[in-house]
Amino acid sequence: MAAAGGVSSDDVPILQAENLTSNVKSIYYSRTFLSIIGGVVAGIWGFTGLTGFIFYFLIMMVASIGLLAKSKFSVLTYFDNWSRILIEGVFGGLMSFVLFWTSHTDDLS
Amino acid sequence: MGIGYAVGVLGGAILAHAAYATIQYRAVLKITEEEFTRPPMDVMMELLLGLVLCMWAGLAVPTKFLSVLPHSEENRIVSLPANLDFMIFNHRGRALPADEDLKLKT
Repeated sequence: MAAAGGVSSDDVPILQAENLTSNVKSIYYSRTFLSIIGGVVAGIWGFTGLTGFIFYFLIMMVASIGLLAKSKFSVLTYFDNWSRILIEGVFGGLMSFVLFWTSHTDDLS
Repeated sequence: MGIGYAVGVLGGAILAHAAYATIQYRAVLKITEEEFTRPPMDVMMELLLGLVLCMWAGLAVPTKFLSVLPHSEENRIVSLPANLDFMIFNHRGRALPADEDLKLKT
């Protein structure tokens, strides 16, 4: 009976894995869609070179803030650590951004 | 689900219209042989509007976040299978006085 005691602080907490996977997928869809839209806007606006990449990271920062708001600022309720909501998907979306950016750059030339 | 998709489609349509307007603007500049650096102001406003709408749709449409904590209210396992092995019908409750006025203490 005494063996069913409290959890020591070294134990890894058990999380609902399928909910975590669903949340991470949801972030990934959001960031991919926003990368594509950001690429289209950057191409139409006529950004070239470094300005375009700065615009992309600006879009990603706004997306991070939006995702934080979506999780009602209690990140640990929905994810296992902060880096998931802030960093995950940023560099994967970069490729999509560059693709749509270069494909729409010709609108102005 | 419906409103998010509608906003996203509207944002996409606004961006497509802005792209078309920019291409036409460039054609006009080719005729007048002027230099260009950026699209006209109303196209930029259109781009910003389309961007804002698409960003809102991009954050709202994917499934809402589900709690990962094992002990939160919505993650409780409350339904047990109806397994006859664990149902006991012959117990000492039969010997208790059957008082219909008894209420469950909550």
